Amino acid sequence: MNEKFVPRIVGFLCNWCSYAGADLAGVSRLQMPPSLRAIRVMCSSRVNPLFIIRVFLIGADGVLVAGCHPGDCHYQKGNYQARRKFAILKNIFESLGLESDRLRLSWISAGEGPRFAKVITEFTEKIKELGPNPAKEKVFL
Amino acid sequence: MKGAILKVTENVANPIINFLEKGLDKKCFDAVLIPVKVPVGNSFAWVLIQNKSLLEDANPLPPVMPVQGAKALSSITRMGKTNKKIAAIMRPCEVRAAVELSKLEQVNLENIFLISIDCPGVLPLKDYLERPEEAMDKFNEILLGACPERSRRAQNDIEWGNESTRPACQVCDKFVGTDLGFCQSDLHIGILGTKDKNIFLIPNNEKGKSILNKMDIEAEKSMDNWEKKAKELMEVRKKKKKEVQERLKFKVMGIDNLLDVFSNCINCHNCRSACPICYCRQCYFESEKMKLPSDDYLMRAKSKGALRFLPDTLLFHLGRMTHMSLSCVGCGACEDACPMSIDVAQIFSFVADNSQGLFNYIPGKNAEEPLSLRIYKEDEFHEVET
Repeated sequence: MNEKFVPRIVGFLCNWCSYAGADLAGVSRLQMPPSLRAIRVMCSSRVNPLFIIRVFLIGADGVLVAGCHPGDCHYQKGNYQARRKFAILKNIFESLGLESDRLRLSWISAGEGPRFAKVITEFTEKIKELGPNPAKEKVFL
Repeated sequence: MKGAILKVTENVANPIINFLEKGLDKKCFDAVLIPVKVPVGNSFAWVLIQNKSLLEDANPLPPVMPVQGAKALSSITRMGKTNKKIAAIMRPCEVRAAVELSKLEQVNLENIFLISIDCPGVLPLKDYLERPEEAMDKFNEILLGACPERSRRAQNDIEWGNESTRPACQVCDKFVGTDLGFCQSDLHIGILGTKDKNIFLIPNNEKGKSILNKMDIEAEKSMDNWEKKAKELMEVRKKKKKEVQERLKFKVMGIDNLLDVFSNCINCHNCRSACPICYCRQCYFESEKMKLPSDDYLMRAKSKGALRFLPDTLLFHLGRMTHMSLSCVGCGACEDACPMSIDVAQIFSFVADNSQGLFNYIPGKNAEEPLSLRIYKEDEFHEVET
């Protein structure tokens, strides 16, 4: 396919786990594609589904929401609620025939630098298969 | 199911008005919230009546729904419970929206006596305003379809929700205010299956029973006739809903089709203003978050080649879906409010049905059941995490 296509992925990373995990991956000099634009949020439940739709429609090729593993949330139950919100959004995408594969929810703890690198690599590969987000070209959104 | 039977004198509304007058007399409630035809012009408005002589002009089943009843109830009770008892006569979708709003703390149901009524659907506001008298005749024909012997054209119940009513009403399968329609009113008024020119009063809970008691109305008669008719009609509607949604799917699936459907949108946000569930004091789409410097738009125009203004039309509709689809009662108020005749209500209730299905949640069914986003289970939705 398009050899030059480098996906742009927007990642909402939770401050307590996934952001630290990203930091660890960087400090450990783990190799991963330079596709992620990270946005730090205090909790994965802070991510209003609207944020995801907004970056998706502006043209992000993929959107990642990452938080603490279930049971490990800094605020006890934030990630459980994030999961429900994400499930609804994904369902809406599926109902309307939008590409729900461009959305990903992953749990990455502060100690899981290698897992972070793996998630980013995997997700980037997946998006490469899907190609650029068609919404990127749409003028009349 | 047990209930009471009231005789119909002139029209269906008459025994209901008499019942309400009696209720006010016996101090079962101190005020009545009911649609009334405005004296000048043809429109209907919600009116809070304390003086019983004004009840004469009330119409418990107006042909249109200019303001969703739950919105009217919310503006009365959003500051807390009322000190006097109010009886609110609403359609089942309005009752369900009121129950949803009570969960969102926008309605306080403590001193409210919710009375629902079998709903034949309503006419699109535009059709009604164009030719009010003709529309009124048409609506009465539909309504009388419920009582075949009184109808001029010997229609049957299938005429309820025929193509002259709003699209949302045509596929509505929750048009009764009992457990059958997943609706939690205190008292339901049935008009379906009334061969002998009667209406049925069906108490749904203790509150409903105690008020009937206080008014010396015995509620021990069998409601089988009504139940049978309601179930029959419900089956027809369920089938129709399935067909319509199957067709709709092809119309909206994929980003190109979505853009087609919403391309007429003029960003007036009327659908949001008319929606009983959208209650936020500050909507995200009116907030500072949506006001961006020109550089931002220039950047987007650069990457896309061009950018439409007003921007973010699809974002608004998709965003609204994520915010209210769990509580959407499918009342169709949004479609009535759309000046561009976009099928918003159909698209929204299609999406809402799917997302409510995720949690087996039926909005308005039970005031005690918490909103799905307020609770969680530790072991669920593993299919969305990777």
